Amino acid sequence: MNPVFYADLGRIKYRPALALQHHLHLLRREGGVTDVVLSLEHEPVITIGRGGSETSILAPHEELTQLGVEIASIERGGDVTYHGPGQLVLYPILDLRRREKDVHRYVADLEEIMIRIARSFVVEATRRAGLPGIWHERGKLGAVGIHVRNWVTMHGLALNVGLDPDGFQWIVPCGIAGAKAVSISDIIGHPVSMGGAREAALSAVSDVLGEELIPVGEEVIAAWKRESLIG
Amino acid sequence: MDIVVPDLGEVGEVQIVRWLVSPGDAVAVGDPVAEVEADKAVFVVEAPSAGVLERTLIAQGQPTRPGEAIARLRSG
Repeated sequence: MNPVFYADLGRIKYRPALALQHHLHLLRREGGVTDVVLSLEHEPVITIGRGGSETSILAPHEELTQLGVEIASIERGGDVTYHGPGQLVLYPILDLRRREKDVHRYVADLEEIMIRIARSFVVEATRRAGLPGIWHERGKLGAVGIHVRNWVTMHGLALNVGLDPDGFQWIVPCGIAGAKAVSISDIIGHPVSMGGAREAALSAVSDVLGEELIPVGEEVIAAWKRESLIG
Repeated sequence: MDIVVPDLGEVGEVQIVRWLVSPGDAVAVGDPVAEVEADKAVFVVEAPSAGVLERTLIAQGQPTRPGEAIARLRSG
């Protein structure tokens, strides 16, 4: 097994997290850091992937700005999505040359990680053919969207743990009209601690990737953040 | 020389979501030339050698497959 760093960023605004991803993605491609998995919650943000367009954002921009919701066009696959507190986001920055050079398999691994985290809360999620992400009969539970350059990944997965679903009213999720987002807490009928979800994520990531995860200290994360702002 | 979509594993059809260069542009080896998408994954296709982009063979928004040529490069 090869060590993989695991950095818990807590709750973070979208743009500093994106700058950190870009920094680590470049470092990884140049061999300056080992594989890293970032774990975080975002402040409210709507992101537009390469497959999306602003037409999937239903709310006026002024209203979103007033509510403090950021909008970001980014390089991941997929359409429009919403991230906010109560959603567990993982951004694995992995060199797929060290595993399998298979983009489809990697997306399936991200789905498997989410299925296992959901299962730890006794929620059975499934895949749907042609619709990447994970689903429950009540709606979409988790999304994937990734970017790969030089076989190094960025962006990743977002699992609705106890997300306020109001954020999704501002968009057409994944460009699928009528698609409903659902959280683990909605399904089991009581609140779920994000700490519990993060712990479940640690073992799910380690098991699915077959790697040992090494938590990274705050000082290392602070240094990465400083470097990412300079870069 | 052709620029070819690499083998992405168990990926069939991909779509060109963005051309990053235009005919006449000079590229160095490893420069990003296009982004292709499948399964919510965007993959950056890079120039296999230095040269000038002669022409694109697949338009933005159109489907293609791993192993297929998407552009022609003139050695520069």
